Amino acid sequence: MSKPDVEAMLASFRADLAAAADLTALDEVRRAHAGKASPLKGALKGLKALSAEEKPVFASVVNAAQEAVEAELASAKLTLEAAELERRLLSEWSDLTLPGVATPRGARHPVTQVEARCMEVLRRLGFTLVDGPEVEHPFYNFDALNIPEHHPARDMQDTFWVSGGLLLRSHTTTVQARVLEERAKDLKAGKDVLPIRVASMGRVYRNEAVDATHLAMFHQFEGIWIDKGLTFAHLKGTLAFVARALFGETRRVRFKPKFYPYTEPSVGVDVSCGVCDGAGCEACHGAGWVTILGAGMVHPKVFAQFGYDPEQVSGIAFGLGTTRMAAQTTGITKIRSLYEPDLRTLSSLHRGL
Amino acid sequence: MRLTLDVLRQFTDLPADVREARILLDEVGLEVKRIDPSGPGVPVTLELLANRGDHHCLTGLAREVTGRTGGTVNFPSFTPLVVGDAPHPIRVETPLCAVYSLTLLELPRPVRQVVPSAADLAAALDGDDDLSLEDDVDLLEDDGGASGPAVVVGSLSDADRARLEACGLRPIHPVVDATNLANLELGQPTHAFDADKITGPITVRLSRAGESCLPLFQTERVELPEGTLVIADDVKILALAGVIGCEDSKTDEATTRVLLEAAAFDPVAVRKASRALSIHTDSSARFERGSDFAAVLPGASRVAGLLADAGWSVKGTTGVVSSWSDPGRVVRFDAEACRRFLGIDEDDLELYTRLERYGFELVDQGVRVPTHRLWDIEYPADLYEEIAKSIGYDNTPIGLPAIDMGGLPTHAESVRDVVADVLVGQGFYEVITDGFHGRDLPEQLGFVGYHPLAAHVETANAIDRAYSLLKNEALGAAIEGVAANGRMKHDEVKAFEFTRTFHPDSSAPNGVCTERNVLWAIVSGSERPRTWAGTSRSADASWLKGVVEEIGLALKLPLTVGAADASYPIGSALHPGRQASILLSGRTVGALGEVHPGVVAAFKIKRARPVYFEIALDTLVAEPASKPFTEPPRVPPVERDLAFTLANGVEGGTVAALLRASGPAWLGRVAIVDLFAHEEDGRAVRTLTFRLFYDNEEGNRTADEMNQATEALIAVVTDKLGASGVKLRV
Repeated sequence: MSKPDVEAMLASFRADLAAAADLTALDEVRRAHAGKASPLKGALKGLKALSAEEKPVFASVVNAAQEAVEAELASAKLTLEAAELERRLLSEWSDLTLPGVATPRGARHPVTQVEARCMEVLRRLGFTLVDGPEVEHPFYNFDALNIPEHHPARDMQDTFWVSGGLLLRSHTTTVQARVLEERAKDLKAGKDVLPIRVASMGRVYRNEAVDATHLAMFHQFEGIWIDKGLTFAHLKGTLAFVARALFGETRRVRFKPKFYPYTEPSVGVDVSCGVCDGAGCEACHGAGWVTILGAGMVHPKVFAQFGYDPEQVSGIAFGLGTTRMAAQTTGITKIRSLYEPDLRTLSSLHRGL
Repeated sequence: MRLTLDVLRQFTDLPADVREARILLDEVGLEVKRIDPSGPGVPVTLELLANRGDHHCLTGLAREVTGRTGGTVNFPSFTPLVVGDAPHPIRVETPLCAVYSLTLLELPRPVRQVVPSAADLAAALDGDDDLSLEDDVDLLEDDGGASGPAVVVGSLSDADRARLEACGLRPIHPVVDATNLANLELGQPTHAFDADKITGPITVRLSRAGESCLPLFQTERVELPEGTLVIADDVKILALAGVIGCEDSKTDEATTRVLLEAAAFDPVAVRKASRALSIHTDSSARFERGSDFAAVLPGASRVAGLLADAGWSVKGTTGVVSSWSDPGRVVRFDAEACRRFLGIDEDDLELYTRLERYGFELVDQGVRVPTHRLWDIEYPADLYEEIAKSIGYDNTPIGLPAIDMGGLPTHAESVRDVVADVLVGQGFYEVITDGFHGRDLPEQLGFVGYHPLAAHVETANAIDRAYSLLKNEALGAAIEGVAANGRMKHDEVKAFEFTRTFHPDSSAPNGVCTERNVLWAIVSGSERPRTWAGTSRSADASWLKGVVEEIGLALKLPLTVGAADASYPIGSALHPGRQASILLSGRTVGALGEVHPGVVAAFKIKRARPVYFEIALDTLVAEPASKPFTEPPRVPPVERDLAFTLANGVEGGTVAALLRASGPAWLGRVAIVDLFAHEEDGRAVRTLTFRLFYDNEEGNRTADEMNQATEALIAVVTDKLGASGVKLRV
């Protein structure tokens, strides 16, 4: 029997390999030339017909041919895979200039964002949030806070009255009054209630003619800190901390006399204007300062009202209009729009138009 | 208060630099709201402290400034009036008038008085600029005496008129101008009556029922609330005490005799009259904040002095009826306590010197309060404030108290944050709506008649009708939000709110109402906005149910959506076939559903089909349920799908629950993976595909076992629900 022509087999393989244009065709070539039924496998099967001397020589030739086939197949596979990947990548081009299509997130309301930031700052000072009713007894809204019968704030025109002699709270200070009353009971029972550090926030109401800048309902945020030995210096230190934490560490802070019935001395807190940095501009009406907080030392009458001894304890109280602050931080000039469910406004604030 | 820096400089020294002057005013509590550095005299508008009536005049402002600067106050000079017999009978019938005085002033003889303009004056003087006003009067009186009826040209000096104008007051009549200027300078309002228009004694009393008057500058008579503090003669009301005079007794060009009133009225009485009649004047602003009772005569004296310069003379003595005397209030002042309070180290002398600048007098055990501060100085803390102002609030020490540790959010705060995070993640925007209902809203929602939400807590005095009802539900505002956005062609709405509603409840602790915190959300449009990639499905009740379930998962609460509760108050405003209850541990805590088409139409919403849910927020503050962790199977489950056709009205959840309950222990999960709505025998039906996930953890469960289990489930469903219209779709 004549020996198979290995060279011819290789030549046939290489011709088929050169013609294989893709991985499928390559697989066909593999089956034809390296599979069980391939000529090279058949040549090996014919070894037994050869003489003992011829066997190793011919086996060596066939094995070398098989190795060459495998190596060339592997190389061709890599080439074809790379080409195929290239084709695929080209065909899979996406136009990423088009807008993203994930479900867009919404957003918290600017006022609640401000509230959250205020609480974050106050928590660092050990404050906790306390809630209170919005339909209030005038005692907590006025009398307890040293707003006597003749104070203009008690006028029918300023306050919403409801039946039963109750009213809609005109400030969140009512919550502080309730806390002072509640803790005073504990104090009388001999419990150690100091320090008291509570914050309150939420809706307040004013019976005013409503326009773009005057609202019948808006939001306030307040804090009160009662302890032994709190001083005017502590009031200023606390207010400066809060002001800078809310408006930026680089803002300068100044204090000026104010009047609030429930504090004495009362203090207004200004920060340097964020637009002109104190030089004076249109935004700050040339003052260089923007008022952000009202505050003061708790009035002795307020302490006396609930049975605290103003000789023994003192207190720091402060508050800010979160609606106003939200307007300042967002650039909204007509605060009424903060309370309108116009999602175009809210969306614009969050993600732009 | 309007004035100019130049005018204020006439009363005390101010920094020459406008900016420094402004800072000084701000720092002493005279906050500059507006300033025009290039305007004549540097016009400023000050915002005065609400409790400081004494600031409402130039000397008061100057006194506040000198408390800081240590400078002096330049008081206007005047000759004190002589108190004696009253020039006209006075009766004070109410304690609301502490001091009442009358002074008679006359022109020398019956003459005609002319309110001059600069041009008139120039013409009258024939261009003789060297003559003073006093000369003018003399000249014209002399002339009048010789050639017929005299004409007196009465006016304040140019400097005084300029002072008035600088403070926003237009000179109109010498008598009026004099009273205005004296008030501006000294803070003592006065009023002049035409003495020839008075009939009988001048009485200070409370108005009687049905009395009316014609206040100055009004065109119609106004009826006075009974008990208004008034000045009257025998036949008419002459003035609303401390507020404004009346037309019937006003001075005019023909007036030659005036009765000058200077008085001290009760602040509350003045404020009540002012507010009741909506008449606000410089006089009422001063009296409302408490006037200086000791300034009555100085005020009248200053007016008399100014009028004397204009040709008027005082006749007789000034009559005074007074029930007031200086209480000589002494406030305890402990210098050491003050130093501690402010954290300062000034010595006693320095502190007392500062108080003296404000007019306080050192006496035993404290300081005596000057009469102009009796309304606001009562406690040592009030004096500490004066010291702090004198030093400058920015110049006292500053420091934080010792802080033991920071705090954490309360559970209620965390719950809100978690809920909001879920909703925001699903594309919702938080909104804040009013705490009120308009009168029309209950009707739009159909919450009228015997509906449980027909009753509201009502405001008694709302200026605007839109604020007359307190909100007792949140649905209305939510739908109105969809409608408002729709009107702007913004149809994709996802909004939520943490709000509060008010519910009439006479058994509540306050006897009026209870308040409830409510979480609501509304969606209208598609699950996500249309993009270039196409539209998504409509956000319907099923989608919103998924959102509620996500909230439950985030809060680790067993929050589920179940069959609608017929007694839930807002249920009538939801689609009867598309609403459900929201349950927490089996208890109804809210509702979910599509807004009723009738309600949608009532809000004039055209295309949208809003879907809404609300949850009683406080129920979500429940303790989270701890769920034991279950290791996921290490081998994938074996799946089998079953499709059942359900007659309309049969709930897919019923079939799923039956499958879950009836399967073997190794039936891990049942999911609904497809819904096909179609018709069968002319009836609308739905075919649902349920996917059964069989656990095969040990790998020893055979295909036959699973097939048998599936067959058994088919039998159970067919057996139990076949009569209801459920059958296997082959």
